This record gives sequence, structure tokens and C-alpha cells, in this order.
Amino acid sequence: MDKVRILGYIICVASLLGIIIGFFTSEYLTIALAIICIPLFIFSFGLINMAKPKKDEVKERVEEPFTGY
Amino acid sequence: MNLMLNIIVNILVAFLFGSLLLGLHRKVMARVQLRPGPPIVQDLIHSIKFFFKETSFPKTATYPLYIGIVVIFSAVWVTGVIEGPVLKGSLLIIFGIYAVHKIVEHNAGSSSGSPYGKLSCVRAVFSAAAELPLFAVLALVFLKTGTLNISSLISYQSIHGPLIVSMPLAAIMFLTLILSKAPYNPFCITKAKDLVTGFETEHFGVLRGLIMFTDSVAWYMLLWVFLVVFCGPIGLLGLIIGMIIITVIMGFISAVTPMLNPNHSVMTQISIAIVCTLGTVLMLII
Repeated sequence: MDKVRILGYIICVASLLGIIIGFFTSEYLTIALAIICIPLFIFSFGLINMAKPKKDEVKERVEEPFTGY
Repeated sequence: MNLMLNIIVNILVAFLFGSLLLGLHRKVMARVQLRPGPPIVQDLIHSIKFFFKETSFPKTATYPLYIGIVVIFSAVWVTGVIEGPVLKGSLLIIFGIYAVHKIVEHNAGSSSGSPYGKLSCVRAVFSAAAELPLFAVLALVFLKTGTLNISSLISYQSIHGPLIVSMPLAAIMFLTLILSKAPYNPFCITKAKDLVTGFETEHFGVLRGLIMFTDSVAWYMLLWVFLVVFCGPIGLLGLIIGMIIITVIMGFISAVTPMLNPNHSVMTQISIAIVCTLGTVLMLII
């Protein structure tokens, strides 16, 4: 499993935990947890599910479209 | 309802309804330009689709900022939903959110290393001057009602009638601000076509998905704030109808007006702000 996907799972679990904790905390802490954890959860969902480029296309993807600038 | 549940439900509503409204905006633009246009759900489908698309991180990007700024962008508008529909708190925080939005545009543009992004980043700073109408609106609303708290403003309007009637020029000023945030609008200098998609140009896949999610939430929030501040307690149906009407009007304006160059864009917005502010002050005095 690649680094990005592992990072995605870690962020997903941490943010989900934060959201669950937010159900039982005081108002200010709930708001703080929501502001931090909801965007991170959505982001981690993308990191886990995103498609990966083929091995021979990785370099091309990273360098495009900047070559020449 | 539990606060966290309330926040999650409101964010989901903002995303789903905001996406459909942006889809409607595209549809109206297309029909005005005699094109069939995409289905109204296309924007929603695109937002979700990007989370499953291939994502690559360009080697010229400053990674912590390039990735972090998109999460911050999302966090900024999650804060907007919490302060707005959930808590009905202070308009000053909403104003702060618009200010941070500009900073996010600036940093998103500079982080990718793309020349399009960099130019968009410069324009984001330039166009910050165009946030003047929002500041003027806040000042005028405070002068008229003596409060900047959203729930107090709703109560005020339930007694004294909607502010759109007593302060129509301030409402026009706010509508100018809404127009400046609509896709393909005449003031859209940070995402003008000469910059491809401006600060978003090099954000692919999941990052673009998160940006589109946030754009939908931001559009919903803009319309919600306008309707609540200027129309008062209009209920759920009133909010839905109001949002659809404003989106259709914005789509029509975006379709029939050319994009202005940066100088003209900022000067036009500031001119509208000055005229409407003076007019509203005169109306308040008289």
C-alpha cells in the first residue's frame, strides 16, 4: 500500500474519531472539532478512493503541465 | 438536535443544494446562449466524481501549502455554515470568512508553481479591494438596526419589515458581491478564462473535488446570508425560492456580460459601492 493511501486511512480514522467525540463535548469544543475534522474527513475519503496513475505515467503526470515554464 | 449532528446536516444541505444551484446557474447561462447546457445535477456529479479521479501532485508545488490550503478553504466555509445557519451568530465573522476566502485564493494560486496560479494569486490581492461593498453593507445594516447578530436581525425584520424595502441600495450592493462570486461573472478576474481556471488550474482529482465541494457550500452561504439579512424570516420555502431566483438572475447576468479586465472589475465594484452607500446614507437621514 502506498504512503498516500496509508496517510488517508490515518486521517480518516483520526477525523472520524474527532467527529464522534464532538457529539459529547461542550459547544466550543464541538465547533472546533467540526471545523477541523469535517474537511479532513472529506479529504481523507478522497485520498483513500482516488485512482492512481499507471507506473510508466507517474513521471509524466507530476511534470506536466509545467515542463517549459 | 445535537450540535454536531446539526452541523453535519447543515453542511450536507449546503453542499447538495449549493451544487444544484450552481448546476442551475450553468443551465441558465447555456440556455441564454442558445446551448442545451449540462443537466442541473452535473455540478454535483462532478464534485463527487473528482474524489475518485487520478490525483497527481506537481513537482513544482509547495506541498504543505498546496494540499493544506484546500483543506483550509473547506474549513473556512464549514465555519461559515456553523456561524450562519447553525448558530445564527455574528455577521462580522461572516465578513471575516470572506476576507480569509481571498487569502485562500491568493495562497492556492501561489502554491502550485503554475504561472496561471501565480497571476491569479496577484489578482486575488488586487480584487480584495472589491470586498468593500460587503464592509459597507455591514456598516449600513448596523446603522439601521443597531445589531450585527443574525438572529437579532431576523427579529428586527419581523417587527419593522424586510431591510430590502428600507435599504434597497444596500441590497443591490450585496447582490453585486454575490455576482462577483458567481462562476463566469463579469468581475471574475481570479478565474478569468485567460488564466485557464486561475488559482484552481493545477489542483487535480481529490483537491479539485474538495474545492468544488467548498464552492457549492460558499454559494449556498452567500445566498443564505443575503436572504436572511435583507428578507428576514421567510421560512424554508422562501429561502429555496429566493435562492433559485437569485441564481437564475446571476446566471442571466453572467451569460450576457463580458468579463471585465482587472482594473475595470475593481473600479466598477467600488463605484457601485460608493454610489449605493451614499444613496443608503441619504435614505437613512431622510
